[in-house]
Amino acid sequence: MNVPPLTPEPVFQGDSSPSRGVVPTPVLVEGIFTRRQIRSITDGITRVIIKTGGISIILCILGMCIFLVKEVIPLFLPTQATLVEPIPLSPLEHRVSAALIGIDEHQEVAYALRGDNLEFVSLGATTSSISTIPVRGLLPDGSVTALARALGRGHSLVIGTGDGRVIPVTIEFTQDFQNNERSIAPSVKVGTPIAAGPTPQPITKLAYQSTDSEVRIAALLEDQHLWLTTGRTTSRPDGTTSVSTTQVDVTPGLSGRVTAVTLASRAELLAVGTDEGKVYHFDLRDATKPLLTETTQASDGSKAITALGYLMGDRSLVVGDAAGQVVVWMPVREHPGTNQTKMTVVHRFASHQSAVTDITISQRDKGFITTDAEGGIRLHHSTSAQTLLTLSPQQGALRNTYFAPKADGLVGLTEDHRLIHYQISNPYPEITLSTLFSPVMYEGYERPELVWQSSSGSDDFEAKYSLTPLIFGTIKGTFYAVLLAVPLAVLAAIYTSMFMHPDYRTKIKPAIEIMAALPTVVLGFLAGLWFAPVLERNFPAMTGMVLVTPFAIIASAGLFLLLPASVRHRIRPGVEAFLMIPVIIAVVWGCLETNTWWESVLFGGHYKPWLQTHLGLNYDQRNAIVVGVAMGFAIIPIIYSISEEALTNVPKNLIAGSLALGATRWQTLIYLVLISASPGIFSALMIGLGRAVGETMIVLMATGNTPIMDWSLFNGFRTLSANIAVEIPEAPHGGTLYRTLFLAGLLLFVATFLLNTVAELVRQRLREKYSQF
Amino acid sequence: MRQWIRQVMASGELFIWGCGAGLALSLFMIAGLLVLILVNGFGYFWPADLVELTLKDGKHVVGQLAGEEVGPKGVPRIRMKIGNRDLYGLDYRWINTDQIVERATPADLVMVERREWGNFYGRIRTLTKEDQTVVEGVEAVWQSLPALIREVESSEGNSPYALLVVDANGREKSIGLSQVVRVLRPNALSTLGKVWVYVGNVWMVLTTEPREANTEGGIFPAIFGTVMMVLIMSLVVTPFGVIGALYLREYARQGVIVRIVRIAVNNLAGVPSIVFGVFGLGFFVYGVGGTIDALFFSDRLPTPTFGTGGILWASLTLALLTVPVVIVATEEGLAAVPREYREGSIGLGATKWETIWKVVLPTALPGILTGLILAMARAAGEVAPLMLTGVVKLAPALPIDWTWPFLHLDRKFMHLGFHIYDVGFQSPNVEAAKPMVYVTTLVLILVVVTLNLTGIVLRNRMRRKYAGSAV
Repeated sequence: MNVPPLTPEPVFQGDSSPSRGVVPTPVLVEGIFTRRQIRSITDGITRVIIKTGGISIILCILGMCIFLVKEVIPLFLPTQATLVEPIPLSPLEHRVSAALIGIDEHQEVAYALRGDNLEFVSLGATTSSISTIPVRGLLPDGSVTALARALGRGHSLVIGTGDGRVIPVTIEFTQDFQNNERSIAPSVKVGTPIAAGPTPQPITKLAYQSTDSEVRIAALLEDQHLWLTTGRTTSRPDGTTSVSTTQVDVTPGLSGRVTAVTLASRAELLAVGTDEGKVYHFDLRDATKPLLTETTQASDGSKAITALGYLMGDRSLVVGDAAGQVVVWMPVREHPGTNQTKMTVVHRFASHQSAVTDITISQRDKGFITTDAEGGIRLHHSTSAQTLLTLSPQQGALRNTYFAPKADGLVGLTEDHRLIHYQISNPYPEITLSTLFSPVMYEGYERPELVWQSSSGSDDFEAKYSLTPLIFGTIKGTFYAVLLAVPLAVLAAIYTSMFMHPDYRTKIKPAIEIMAALPTVVLGFLAGLWFAPVLERNFPAMTGMVLVTPFAIIASAGLFLLLPASVRHRIRPGVEAFLMIPVIIAVVWGCLETNTWWESVLFGGHYKPWLQTHLGLNYDQRNAIVVGVAMGFAIIPIIYSISEEALTNVPKNLIAGSLALGATRWQTLIYLVLISASPGIFSALMIGLGRAVGETMIVLMATGNTPIMDWSLFNGFRTLSANIAVEIPEAPHGGTLYRTLFLAGLLLFVATFLLNTVAELVRQRLREKYSQF
Repeated sequence: MRQWIRQVMASGELFIWGCGAGLALSLFMIAGLLVLILVNGFGYFWPADLVELTLKDGKHVVGQLAGEEVGPKGVPRIRMKIGNRDLYGLDYRWINTDQIVERATPADLVMVERREWGNFYGRIRTLTKEDQTVVEGVEAVWQSLPALIREVESSEGNSPYALLVVDANGREKSIGLSQVVRVLRPNALSTLGKVWVYVGNVWMVLTTEPREANTEGGIFPAIFGTVMMVLIMSLVVTPFGVIGALYLREYARQGVIVRIVRIAVNNLAGVPSIVFGVFGLGFFVYGVGGTIDALFFSDRLPTPTFGTGGILWASLTLALLTVPVVIVATEEGLAAVPREYREGSIGLGATKWETIWKVVLPTALPGILTGLILAMARAAGEVAPLMLTGVVKLAPALPIDWTWPFLHLDRKFMHLGFHIYDVGFQSPNVEAAKPMVYVTTLVLILVVVTLNLTGIVLRNRMRRKYAGSAV
């Protein structure tokens, strides 16, 4: 060790190293400072460096929590909308009865189709100048009486005319990059007109959907007949195409006047709303025979249904009525096991003040926009059942609205021919505290449930971000681990500190402690690839072991105590544990050898069917037992070492006093040592819990990682930590999943921090208490 | 008897035995775990005999014994590694012992280690060159093989030669020498020869690159990556940890705030490593890395340079994870420096910094080293945070090479712990990969345990040395 000599060194050595000795007189070095000044300056500088360094390091460490919070907060920020200046469109010569509006995905070019007048408006992000591209005359003449838009990607519209024809119009936006600047050029394609009914009469309501092979049109004609037309385009060998149509009248069976019509995006479903507040649901899979599957009384007060819309995924139907109510309906299975579904109200949203006029569906998520007769706009999200945004009327009533393709903006067309454009910041509509932690009614489920399923193959998937199953899994894994580890570790600690021969104690303790450093990936690997199959093969034997071990211990101890004292005293005290090892080996070996016997005795032949029939439990190979054992293994050394420390630190004079007063070793332990050390053991338990809660690799490798909520010993689970490891590689930076996983990380951080703080405080108090003796 | 039972219960002796059993059970589990890893890990290198079984139906099976047990119907059975994945599809096979007529270990059986399809077990027929037989007869081929295999290495893995081999039942198979890593006749080896092969195997695993989706070959890149990552981490964590501890112990005013900070730092050691991984991903990779990319590597965007996982970010994340360990150990070391040393130094006129630099720090060095070593041990064994910050199953290049700037901190790397996870759980043929996982586990445990032992021994020595003097 470099202990400096205490005798002063000679001062004048001539070198520049500061002397350790007493400096009698300031010694001049080159420059303006004396050596003493240099020394004191150095001292000051290092003081500043270490202070700022130390504080900043500590702040850095604590800043972690702040950073995690910062990443999570955007999830809960309210939706924001900014209104871009309304843009007046060019005046029209005559009144039009129908209008549609739309915008490209970058929100740079909007279009407004008013009657037969298609107009493009450049919204250019930097310039406010408006260039209009009127497309008059592109469309065939004839009065336009109705307009409709197909759901889904792209801008596929139809124009319904006064003579009962339907003209498809497709608008495409092509991007062009020049000098790193994006320019967007719209183009319009007009398709072949299709007759929407048997007789030429004006179309009053229109719904339209096109798929790869065919188009579907539901048109309400002036005579109140609703015709469903399916047009199939076939290519002839000579290269020309022809459209063959089939037409069906769906009016028979409807009562009341039709007030709203909508088609689902795959054109397999048709919903018709009437002025009596009824909604008729048709199955269109056979185009020639639309099947009325269900009729629902959708409006409470028999108010007219004024707007309908299928949400992305074609399962949920949004219904708006004349009273301003907005309700989401979903087919819900009536009885488990059957496929019979019934349309059910699943989400109700805040009512509008006046009749709902329009429903616009998001192409991104389960969001939609509703507008009312006064021009109010509301943005809702179905899964989270929340109204994200309420915009008060701006420019009077709206003729039509459109949700920007990336769900980050909306355009509306007002009665006085102005275009209003909102930029919407709404990146995490599906996350609320209740979707994260309480049961949510998802599409295709029978009742509100807690589900974690962040991704799936299809685009129109409803992401399910419930953290509850993961928290449950964390608690389950921790519980089983603690169940195994605490008794073993505490008993072992008691034995080592109280009863073990001191010669062995110094060797046993580090041996167990070094296990704390065993990488958990090793435990996970052994648990998943070695122990899980071994347990599956020898489950009856393992059950037997659990049953037999206590008896074997008692029996062997009893036998030992029955031995004559002369024999007993020949054995050194404090070696009981070593005498127990052969007993345990014998029990383990014996049980493994008699596996089939155990299986027939305990489980009547085969344990898996037995568990299935008697307890209704499925046996998974990677189950909670495997995790419990492996994670128990991981926390035994920690709990052991802290409890051992607490037990050993119980003042020796107290123990000596107790023993001297005639208490046995056991009585001393129970009535003195355990009670004084119990806070220490408690803090060991807390720290062990903290380790188990955050353990990742073991859980990742030793369970199936299925996020189910079931206390069964025989199936797996998914913990918060394993979930992060599994999902974060696929989570795009800044996305909902990414931030939700950060929230999971934050929860883990807070939980373990609390556990550890409690443990640490308890430990410090204990230390202070002992220091009095 | 009843009297006796009452007496025993009252004395509590029985419960003491129960406590002993708790310790015994813990020790038994720990010992079992170590034995399992040691046997499987060290057993991997041993060139086991090739056994030829003759079955009742007249078929032959050649392979290495890989265990035996009592099957589900009470019939004893043995497990054979039969190799020849290209011919049989499976690496392992169960054979009921009552089916076996004869067991033999003929000396002419060979084991061909190949670059693809795993091992081949069988016999050598001839050596061919462009479909023409060049050498015939087992012994003659055996004699000429070593030179030819060496030639393959020098000619960059190309060879016109091919081995014509047959499996146990006479199915012929031609193996190009370019595919051959090594040919062994384990049955013909003496014990000393086997030991030599054993040593060679150990050396090969430690120094070569993995083959066949990491299930064969060596683990050198993983060892290198682990060591490299731990070294970079130590370079970062030591100054920060020491400065933090110096501040807390020597400069900060001791009071409630410092006590709270100390508890917080202590607790940080208990925060799950995956949380550090999440932080590392968000802060280092996307935050700092993204900024560096935007400032200095914007020409390469959108392909990230530092804005993706890499060895630097992994090391920094682990440094953050282990800095509490270093702070706590250093503080302990500083606290153990006898007060007389300081007083002596100050009394002789040294400034505070001089006292710290020349007296306190040298005395506390074992404490600092202990902390560093324990931090290294912890870092070497962590996997979860690495999975988010830059570890990969197969890194195309090491983080150090001969191209400028020699040290590539932005590169992804391989890691022993992740290797275990990846090979054991992500590889398509888990059965065939298992031995490799045991070997990796063994290496990892040896590294971690050695580091820990060093740390613990150092700490104990330091404690003993200053036990009396810290009055």
